[in-house]
Amino acid sequence: MKKLFLIIYVLALVLMPASAQKKDWGRISASLESNHHFYVEDQANGFTPSELIQMKEDGFYATNNYLKIDYFKGRLSAGTQLEGYFPSMVGYPFPENRMSISNLYVSWRDDSYSVTAGTFYEQFGSGLLFRSWEDRTLGLNNAMLGARATYDWDGKISARAFWGIPRLGKLSEYGLMTDSEGGFFGLGLASKVNVAGADLSVSISELAGWNNVSFSVEGSVINKHEALSDNLINMGCRPNNVGWSARADVEVNGFYAKAEHVDAGKQLINAFFGAERGNAQLVELGYNSRGLGVSFTGRRLHRMTQQIYTSNLMYAPSANIISYCPAMTAQHTYMLTTLNPYNPETGTNKLRAGEIGGQLDAFYNFRRGTKIGGKRGMKVHANFSAYYSLNETGGVKGGEPLFLDFTFDVEKQWTKKFKTTLLYTLQDYNKEEKNFADEEVYVGMSHVIVADLLYKWTPKLSTRLELQYLASNDYQKDWMAALLEVSFAPHWSVFASDMFNHGDSGLHYYNAGISLVYSKIRVAAGYGRYRAGFICSGGVCREIPAYTGANLTLTASF
Amino acid sequence: MRTFLLTVALLISTAAFAQVPSVTVEDAKGEAVDTKEILSEGVPTIVSFWSTICKPCIRELDAIYDALPDWMEEADFRVVAVSTDDSRLLAKAKSFAEGRGWGEDFTLLFDKNQDFMRAMNVSVVPHVFVFDAKGNIVYSHTSYVPGGELEVFEAVKKCK
Repeated sequence: MKKLFLIIYVLALVLMPASAQKKDWGRISASLESNHHFYVEDQANGFTPSELIQMKEDGFYATNNYLKIDYFKGRLSAGTQLEGYFPSMVGYPFPENRMSISNLYVSWRDDSYSVTAGTFYEQFGSGLLFRSWEDRTLGLNNAMLGARATYDWDGKISARAFWGIPRLGKLSEYGLMTDSEGGFFGLGLASKVNVAGADLSVSISELAGWNNVSFSVEGSVINKHEALSDNLINMGCRPNNVGWSARADVEVNGFYAKAEHVDAGKQLINAFFGAERGNAQLVELGYNSRGLGVSFTGRRLHRMTQQIYTSNLMYAPSANIISYCPAMTAQHTYMLTTLNPYNPETGTNKLRAGEIGGQLDAFYNFRRGTKIGGKRGMKVHANFSAYYSLNETGGVKGGEPLFLDFTFDVEKQWTKKFKTTLLYTLQDYNKEEKNFADEEVYVGMSHVIVADLLYKWTPKLSTRLELQYLASNDYQKDWMAALLEVSFAPHWSVFASDMFNHGDSGLHYYNAGISLVYSKIRVAAGYGRYRAGFICSGGVCREIPAYTGANLTLTASF
Repeated sequence: MRTFLLTVALLISTAAFAQVPSVTVEDAKGEAVDTKEILSEGVPTIVSFWSTICKPCIRELDAIYDALPDWMEEADFRVVAVSTDDSRLLAKAKSFAEGRGWGEDFTLLFDKNQDFMRAMNVSVVPHVFVFDAKGNIVYSHTSYVPGGELEVFEAVKKCK
């Protein structure tokens, strides 16, 4: 199967230059991503016994590959994506060896309308009601297979409509070589799950000819059809589940406001508590002007877990959703700030029907030449977010604090060569979880400070040093971390880092690597010990098992 | 590995033929913009795909922003920064870009369901393209290390 995958993509790419050299034949664009893991046994950071058995069967090697090819000629476009897992890397939803055509489409786009047949991605509003998208890091690709049409009348009115079968994450993903239930391109699933949707957006300001104000009203409706067992129907689920959303957007001289209400139809809470009607409200307010950006987001989620395949909720597969309910909190990137990312409470717990909360972000650029900005300016940013659970009936009374985060960071370019970024964050996560010894532990509050120092020795040679410390009374206590990166622009970069849990386990999570970039091609290789944890995207968090080993990544895009 | 190198070599030969596809994205006011329009002004254009959680992207756009006054003395061109943040971070991305002053000098576009990113076959950010005045891609690279912006500007100057 692996050889077949390689043969297909090499053949496809061999044909590309020939076709591209004649202008009349249109043009081709492609990208390739190839990830390889080589695992080693590590007593201190080992796999579980069952994972170890699987690892030995797979020869301690795993690889995820994606080849995407698009063809454009005038108003016509067509494309495909091949995916190959031989087998997939630890923690991904497709454990077995498999190759599939995950995407295949043909599309025609005129000035005012477009039609697409095959696979497509779509999002209505913020995605709370409906979103199909791809996130390779998470192993998520819930592309729709069907047809879509869009129409736009001169920016005044736009409409979209689609019908399709959602690609499932884990259980019966459609594909060229898939399980017996999915069949070729999942057509066997059509009678089981399909989604139809329509969206209308009306720009009042364009229709009225207002110049300084942008004001639009929008609405969407979707119907998810699913062949359900009598048991699920008795629990309150409906074979045709209709959801809708209404939205309004206004923007005046840098001020903006958005509001959205979503009724998601009947949502199965879990296999024991039956279905309830889900709904959500979202408000965004902000002001953006020269050097200043302030935004506030408030959101309430009530029973908002829109599974693609309700019948398999018992297995709770990741990447099996069509509604997008992300954590609306500061999204951190430094090592110690991401140990326990917030996973929103969408209402899958009987006693916690959802969450309510918000976040405030403020960015300011002290301009060059001002007293505080100095010769080269200074950038500051603050974020505050807080979320509380809803009670069993969807009310606020009796809800518990879920998550609180305060972050402040300041960036200063001191000289042409030296730049610093200092960050402080407080995170308080009211969460109990099982640790890797299967004991109930409490996450609680942590304080993290980070110093990120960049020094450019020459215009092309630079070093970057990160120093981080996490203070906490949670089950893992204190951590420290450091990273050193040396870069020689524009091609080479090497780094070494270590996270040390000196407060509890005494484990070092070391990592070192090198990357080479040549034009559109990037090759990166590394070796390290990786901590078990969660990566989150949308309302989905995927648990990553601990592993130690080497990795190799190739990305190319043309 | 040999297969990958072969693939890469073959792909390189197609590079000069890619141009910007027609995709709908949002501008800073939230209004729909056709990506073909961003190249309609007849000057070389740097198009940079970035996101608020991509620190190298931010470093690269900051470096371009800082160098812009000097570069503009040598060449006439535009910079388009395309945020690939989804609706979780869309409002933040707009405030972030303004808070760094980019809105003064860059054209800001927001690709909240990554349609433009997919159409350009960008698989990781940062990814920068340089288009000449006729809309042909004359340079592109992925990833960023400090100093990498100099190569971007060299590509812009060659567009003359």
